[in-house]
Amino acid sequence: MRITLGLDSTSLSRRYPRLAILATLFMAFGLPLGLYVAALAVFPLNTPERLDAMAEQWLGYDLAGSPYRYIVYTAFLLLVAFIAVNYTAVFGGVSTWVERRVAGRMQSRIGPNRPGAAGFLSWVADAVKMILKEDTIPAEADHLLFRAAPYFSMVGLLLPFVVLPFGEATVVTDMNVGVFYVAAASAFVVVGILVSGWASNSKWALFGGIRGAAQVMSYEIPAGIAMMVPVLMAGTLSMQGIVRAQGGWPWQWFVFQNPAAFVAFFIAVTASLAEGNRTPFDLPEAESELVAGYHAEYSGFRLAIFLMVEWANMWIMAGLAVTLFLGGWQVPGYGAEDYARLLGTGLLPAPGWFGLQLLSMLMFVVKTWALVFVFIWLRWTLPRVRVDQMMSLCWKYLVPGAFLCFVVTLVWQLLVPPAGVAFTGYALTALALFVLAKFAVATRRNISKVAGHRVDLGNW
Amino acid sequence: MTITQFNIASASWFRPELALTAGILLLFLLDVLVRKQSRYRVAVLTVAALACVGVAAALLAFQPVESRAMFNGMIASDPFATFWKWLFLGAAALTVLIAARSDEFPSPRIGVFYALLLSVVLGMFLMATSLDLLMLYLAIEMVSLPSYAIAGYKPGDRRAAEASLKYVIYGGVASGIMLFGLSYIYGLVGSTNLTALGVRLESLAAPASAGGQLGLRVALMVAVIFVLCGIGYKIAAVPWHMWCPDVYEGAPTPFVAFLSVGPKAAGFALAVRVFYSFLASGGGPEGFARGLADVPWPAVVGVLSAVTMTLGNLSALHQNNLKRLLAYSSISHAGYALMGLAAASQLGVQSVMIYMLVYLVMNLGAFLAVIAIAQATGSETIADCNGLSRRHPLLAVTFAVFLFSLTGLPPLAGFVGKWYLFVAVLSHYAGDGGAWYVTLAVIAALNTAISLYYYVRIIRAMFIEAPAGELVVRPRVSYQIMLGTFSAALLLFGVWWNPLIEWTQASLTFLTRG
Amino acid sequence: MNTQFAIFVFLALATLIGAASVALSRNIFWSAMGLLSCLVGVGGLYVMLSADFVAITQLLVYIGGVLVLILFAIMLTSQIQEISVSNRSVGLVGGYLIFFVVSTLLSFVALWAPWRLTSKEPVANTTVALGDGLLGTWLLPFEIASVLLVATLVGAIVIARKEVKSDS
Repeated sequence: MRITLGLDSTSLSRRYPRLAILATLFMAFGLPLGLYVAALAVFPLNTPERLDAMAEQWLGYDLAGSPYRYIVYTAFLLLVAFIAVNYTAVFGGVSTWVERRVAGRMQSRIGPNRPGAAGFLSWVADAVKMILKEDTIPAEADHLLFRAAPYFSMVGLLLPFVVLPFGEATVVTDMNVGVFYVAAASAFVVVGILVSGWASNSKWALFGGIRGAAQVMSYEIPAGIAMMVPVLMAGTLSMQGIVRAQGGWPWQWFVFQNPAAFVAFFIAVTASLAEGNRTPFDLPEAESELVAGYHAEYSGFRLAIFLMVEWANMWIMAGLAVTLFLGGWQVPGYGAEDYARLLGTGLLPAPGWFGLQLLSMLMFVVKTWALVFVFIWLRWTLPRVRVDQMMSLCWKYLVPGAFLCFVVTLVWQLLVPPAGVAFTGYALTALALFVLAKFAVATRRNISKVAGHRVDLGNW
Repeated sequence: MTITQFNIASASWFRPELALTAGILLLFLLDVLVRKQSRYRVAVLTVAALACVGVAAALLAFQPVESRAMFNGMIASDPFATFWKWLFLGAAALTVLIAARSDEFPSPRIGVFYALLLSVVLGMFLMATSLDLLMLYLAIEMVSLPSYAIAGYKPGDRRAAEASLKYVIYGGVASGIMLFGLSYIYGLVGSTNLTALGVRLESLAAPASAGGQLGLRVALMVAVIFVLCGIGYKIAAVPWHMWCPDVYEGAPTPFVAFLSVGPKAAGFALAVRVFYSFLASGGGPEGFARGLADVPWPAVVGVLSAVTMTLGNLSALHQNNLKRLLAYSSISHAGYALMGLAAASQLGVQSVMIYMLVYLVMNLGAFLAVIAIAQATGSETIADCNGLSRRHPLLAVTFAVFLFSLTGLPPLAGFVGKWYLFVAVLSHYAGDGGAWYVTLAVIAALNTAISLYYYVRIIRAMFIEAPAGELVVRPRVSYQIMLGTFSAALLLFGVWWNPLIEWTQASLTFLTRG
Repeated sequence: MNTQFAIFVFLALATLIGAASVALSRNIFWSAMGLLSCLVGVGGLYVMLSADFVAITQLLVYIGGVLVLILFAIMLTSQIQEISVSNRSVGLVGGYLIFFVVSTLLSFVALWAPWRLTSKEPVANTTVALGDGLLGTWLLPFEIASVLLVATLVGAIVIARKEVKSDS
């Protein structure tokens, strides 16, 4: 007998194509958009003062003096966390679909295209499949640690969301040690990898765990130092402070404001790729050598968590790079005073303010997705590096390079006048555009050689 | 003057230390740059290390003499510190000379050894000068951490690994306990500056409740004992001496020679400064003062001193390994030197300085003799000394001179050092708690007699026992020169000790409490 | 009960239980896990003292650095679980004695000593003050610490690395 699930490709979506398209549209746009709107609605309110004021004005309830105020605050924090966690899950899922589709195109095949329009719902199907599978635990494993390990990684993934700014007002909290905090939080992912590698009681997992630890420990150093470059330029560790020190136009982004930052951007991105165990640095889970590395023994939901962490980490990596180097949520042509003007003085801001906020979130999301695409391209273009290559790249090139960038930035900050910075901004932006144009032309030429004079989107 | 200006101005008083820092980095670089297979590798690196010490010494010679706090009260520059710095530089230079011709440092590894040695010297400079609890702790770590590495320097040697590991574990525990004590002091007075600490600790308002008063006393006592633990570990005083024999046995001997004089002297310099900044301050400098928390800290130090010398000497009695024997002997010498601290007077400080100066020469000499013997025989037991007087008379005679000097027999400089310690302690005999001091002096005299026994055991082996075989003992020329010079110096200063007295007298001013 | 106090008790318990399990656990990996709890608890206590920078440093250095290195070392060590400690029970009585005496003494001091108490703004920005302090008043310790770390690092590498081919 055939068991048909709602999302099975052969039954529902073929019988009701419109339903499939509707479901796809809902999952592809409605879900993320809903989460963005929820974030915009909830995140800015997340301070005790605002909650007190709201309760005072709307309910006439004196929350600040109430004995239950901490329960209310905590409930609100949980709501915030709920939105962030769901966003992570949705992004993790969507990005797997994107990755598989992109991989398909890059390898001249189709990729998943069955559940939903263009196979979009395959990530939902995957998730359902993962949850329904048996959660096996090896007999000789350290049971408690084996069960706990995925959550360490999960915590490490979720912690940075606290300070990652999605928009001008859309940030859970603007810690004044934000960048430092993000660097520290990633430690939990490593602990998760190590614990899973140990608790599985399997050689493959152990080797994967060891490799993961060595790799992440090493690459934390260049990543941290390269991230200090924008901190130096902004004079603050706060993520929002760093974004506010940049502007909306590309030449106002930190990456183009001095040559050292330009280099530091690439160092930071490379190092964070390695920290996130993305190919070409996916040594801890190299299939050809270690089966699946540290999560070789995992199945079912726990494996799903590991995979989700891996893919959702791309959002953190890309979002961090965008925030620090690429202007974050800054909308071209709108400055701090525009936000303040539109905010007004009432308890609820004007509708225009919400529009601007959505625009700023859009800026951030578009930039971050662009960077995620780059990560995916890299994964399907570059072969995996060897262990010794990985180490020598880090210690011989990235670490000294990052230090050099740091020192050059210091000197640059001291010596170069604002006019020089502005000129560098224009010059480097022009250079970047030129390179992008060359890249586009070269890509088009390569495609036309293979597929006959056109960019083929037919198999979508 | 702003803080930054003060820092910049201080740098000009900090030149010897800067020279050492530059030297450390230079040696690390040279170690990589000079080819591993080069014939001149050891020579080049030794000359470089000596040059660093020489530059530091030259800069030290031109240091202004007046006392002054530097880097916002972090360290002091005063004649007292300068005295110790000369001592440390001397020890470092001699150790470099000894290590250059020793077999225990293969040429690929000697460059890093010199650099680590210099960083220990830098740490000792800071120990002798630190005026701040944080600086003090950091200085002690600066001495300890490179020492751990050097203790385990012999590749593939189990004893070296054991020495290093024991050293790390004891050292880590001791410095952790010390840090805890320092945190108590900071928690009570809210300051880490030694110059301010004494006054602030005494002016701590006693709480109204009886429990509060007791709490304050106990807190102060615990804090001081914990701090003493860190310092006692550095000078290898008795409850904290356990690392000493094993480390001495396993570590490379030239470094052990340095370890037994350098860090110990630095520990005493630090102890003097800490002692006079907030411990020995109750009822005037001369006397059986009740200090902090109503505890007579000089008496506590006196008890420590008696226990240290007795236990060190008794343990040394049945040692057959020369390095272990010298380790216990160095523990007992720390006990003798603590007498000067227990005396809690100007004379006491001066006697500690004289003793450490003399001890530097005689202990380095004794270890040098052990190295020379071990190079010939391949091991370092008392039996290896059998018949040494017939095999190499110079070595035997000089070794005997060092051992007699360590015992404290006239007319050797060791006698002068011990004499001053006794004078410092006995000058209290008529004062408050005189009986205690006399007891301490008697215990020290008895200990000297005990120590004579095991020193003479070596001498007997060298001069009376017959040589075991036809072994040729031919120490390297530089060792022979050094052995001769050291024993000549001990003889010279044993009869003409005025320069020692004058120098230490001139170096007695130091910054403690403001 | 005060909410802040409840959080404090939670963090303190996490620290203490973690520390105890480091010492008492037979399985060294579980000891490391205890250390994790202990270090996170201490980080939380720093947050409660409104030392934000120090708290994050605690996470970065102790979890991201020290703990991961310890786990790494455990995983590189073979047969870590079957190791038999030969002198496990020697001095157990003495150990308990020292433990009770010292812990009583220190608890007494902690409760009764007249500590200097200061109150701070909740979650003030400490980064700027720390930076000024490190490069101002505390410049010398800061710089000396760097020399110390370089020397230690080189020393550790020298004793850890394989012997290079010596002069022939």
